[in-house]
Amino acid sequence: MSSLYTYLFIAALLFSLGIFGVFQRRSLIGMLIAIELMLNAASINFMAFNKFLAPDPIVGQIYTLFIMGIAAAEAAIALSIIVALFRRLRSINIERAQELRG
Amino acid sequence: MTSSFFHNPTLLAAAVAALLPFFTFALIMVFTRPYPRLSAVLSIGAVSVSLICAIFLLGSHWHLEEPIQYTGKWMISGDIHIPFGFLLDQLSLLMLTIVAVISFLVQVYSLGYMAGDPGFARYYAFQSLFAWAMMTMSIAPNMLQFYIFWELVGLASYLLIGFYYEKFSASEAGKKAFVMTRFGDIAFFLGLLVVLLHFGNLNIQDMNSVDVTARMSPALITLSAILIFGGVVGKSAQFPLLTWLPDAMEGPTPVSALLHSATMVAAGVYMFGRIFPFFSNSAVAMTTFLTIGTITMLLASTMAMVTRDIKQVWAYSTISQLGFMVMGLAAGSYFAGIFHLTTHAGFKALLFLCSGVFIHEYETNDFFEIGKYGGRGLKVPIICMTLAAAALSGLPPLSGFFSKEAIMGALAEQHNPVWLWAGLLGAFLTAYYSFRLIFSILFPKKVEAVHQAEHGGHGHGHEAGHHHAGIYWVMAWPLIILATITLVLGFFHTPLENFLVGHHGGGEAHGGHHAWLLYVAVGLALSGVGLAWLEFGRKGAPQVGFVEKVEPISALFANRWYIDRFYRLFLDYFIYGTVSSLFTRNDRRVIDGGIDGMCRATVGTGWALSFLQSGMLQYNLMVMFAVLALVALYFFF
Amino acid sequence: MNSVQSLIQPHLLAQAGFVVVVALTFAGALIAVFPRNILYNILGLIVSLTGVAGLFVYLGSPFIALMQLLIYVGAICISIIFAIMLSRPLHLSMPKRRLPKVGIAAGVGVAVFVMLAGIISRTSWQPAASRSSDWSVTTLGHYLLTRYDLVFEAISLVLLVAILGAIVISGYARRRPS
Repeated sequence: MSSLYTYLFIAALLFSLGIFGVFQRRSLIGMLIAIELMLNAASINFMAFNKFLAPDPIVGQIYTLFIMGIAAAEAAIALSIIVALFRRLRSINIERAQELRG
Repeated sequence: MTSSFFHNPTLLAAAVAALLPFFTFALIMVFTRPYPRLSAVLSIGAVSVSLICAIFLLGSHWHLEEPIQYTGKWMISGDIHIPFGFLLDQLSLLMLTIVAVISFLVQVYSLGYMAGDPGFARYYAFQSLFAWAMMTMSIAPNMLQFYIFWELVGLASYLLIGFYYEKFSASEAGKKAFVMTRFGDIAFFLGLLVVLLHFGNLNIQDMNSVDVTARMSPALITLSAILIFGGVVGKSAQFPLLTWLPDAMEGPTPVSALLHSATMVAAGVYMFGRIFPFFSNSAVAMTTFLTIGTITMLLASTMAMVTRDIKQVWAYSTISQLGFMVMGLAAGSYFAGIFHLTTHAGFKALLFLCSGVFIHEYETNDFFEIGKYGGRGLKVPIICMTLAAAALSGLPPLSGFFSKEAIMGALAEQHNPVWLWAGLLGAFLTAYYSFRLIFSILFPKKVEAVHQAEHGGHGHGHEAGHHHAGIYWVMAWPLIILATITLVLGFFHTPLENFLVGHHGGGEAHGGHHAWLLYVAVGLALSGVGLAWLEFGRKGAPQVGFVEKVEPISALFANRWYIDRFYRLFLDYFIYGTVSSLFTRNDRRVIDGGIDGMCRATVGTGWALSFLQSGMLQYNLMVMFAVLALVALYFFF
Repeated sequence: MNSVQSLIQPHLLAQAGFVVVVALTFAGALIAVFPRNILYNILGLIVSLTGVAGLFVYLGSPFIALMQLLIYVGAICISIIFAIMLSRPLHLSMPKRRLPKVGIAAGVGVAVFVMLAGIISRTSWQPAASRSSDWSVTTLGHYLLTRYDLVFEAISLVLLVAILGAIVISGYARRRPS
């Protein structure tokens, strides 16, 4: 609970789950959700380093805030891409988006 | 440095003289091309300022002891400094003045000659370009700057020869001139490189000092001298690159007067004089130059004997006189060559400008036709032309007489009398062909008044006639000035000699030493004139030269000794037939084939590899992360 | 109060809370990843994010935890819910999972976890020599507007561009229907 390793392992596990989700889901929204998990894992890492290592405990918090900003931007863009793709393919199944197949 | 620059009138005058025409060129090309009158005013204004500066420089440095050199660094790369600046000594001051005077007169003359030409502004722009390049070249302190402006002069020449670019022959002539002089220039450049590598410096004063012999072996000096002389051969149309100059007469006549007789082609001779001490380090090279000069002079004189084209006669004569100058210089007389260069610039420009009046008036180049149409009716040009032709033939008391005598004197001092006999033969031939032309115009077989009537037909009434007279006088004034120069320049023989070679010059000796030579030379010139009179001048003269009676020889001369044909054959069989077809094959098979092969290979691999792109985003991501994980495992564990 | 304190040790309570928070996080994450119903996924995500917010409290920053709830749970998840209407209608049968794909994905996930765990355990983490203990929101705000001013501006710009981009992308598709 009060060790850096705990938090780092939690974050690593969360990140791996996110990766698994990104690879395995066929729906773009599912992938987006998994990506949010990965971003959160990164946030946990920052906060953990902030608590246990950093000279100035403000920096990690600011990073985390920015990650949230990035996540918001990413969600907005991703959702609009999903909408555009849906208009084109009538589906949000990533396996149908194969127009560049060689 | 800048403040001293502006307080030093010499530097300022030199900079203004050299640079002003360039600004005019830029100004005309960029802004005033649609306004021909303004362009002409600009150009003539610039060249008059240059003229004033040049005369000021010449006047203020008449008793110059030490050459003035001013250089700034233009480019520094490692150990190599490329300085730019100017070197003012007697020779460059003289050349600067010659260029400025002739440029000025020719530009004024062109107001009349080129009037109404659609390319009027362009013409003046090129004239300014030429003036800039030529003047900067004249005062160049090192051979590299000299070479750069030498090439720029060549460019101006190319542009002006091909001025009537709509005409096929003109653009061909421009190309020919460019390519042939470039041949010489390659040799020139190689020679400069040899000097740079072994001497480490291209400064003219250093090259002329005795240092050279200490730092370069005699064989190297000979090699570099002969290579550099290649530039002279190209630019001054010496044997074997002499055939471009007659073709260059396709340009407007004032251009021929300025570039292809008086100044640009003389640049080769000027360069010879410029590094004369360097050249004279090598006796072998000097003998080679003497041979080349002699061959050129005789060949060109014979060619001039059979042509019917007025400009061609003067073109051949220019080549021959340039050969004569080279002979004088190569015979060791610095002053004789340069003096002939000076006087020749005057009278040859005069000859061309006079011819220009006739050509403008009668619209033909054939001087028999001009005579037939009543060429002698144009008083000013015919008088001036006769004067100039007499100067060219070396008749006293005109300028050509003095300079030719100086060269003859130098030739007489050579051990081998062949050179002197060749020179005298040349003088005879020169007198003959000059007066062949003059007499043909003066005493035509049959005068036809056709032209006048025809002319009145297309001149529209009084106003047009008046306009025409105005043009005539614009063209006549430079002729009169040049004729005066031709008349009096000879009497400046001694002052010029003092100016150029100093008071201790050994040039005085030859006058007394070879007193007989004077009479022989004048006698030969007079007999040349006499022969011309017999064949062309007197009443009932056949108007057929003695050469023209012998068919094969006349054909040989008229075809320029088949030099062009030889080049043509060489080009056709050797270059096009062998070398370039080999290169073509190399291009087609090896280079093109290689590139095609590469393209095909790229397309093929792309086609093969495209199966790997399944279009499955997640598989791509998976591969990425798997590789990332493996790489991390490899590096960390 | 006193009896409760004596009955349950404070650090035990804190530890229990920690376990709960971690359990929430992973349970939410599993729900977010595995079910094929997209609504469950989002709900799982919300749970997981709430757990992460709890972790932030344990990491000493209640402010960031609140922000997490506000931005992630309150904004991002809700906007994802809007996208649900694009997904396959719930009453239709789900397509079958393809086992090889899930297997490969799990393999890669495990590999990444092994890599991360290896790196974490093999690195010797050294705390900084001097560490300040100023966690106040005041300082945070102060830093945001002084030292991290440029980053702040940058993130604002990124958000603006993202909004515009989102509008353009979806609008573009509207003008050119397939």
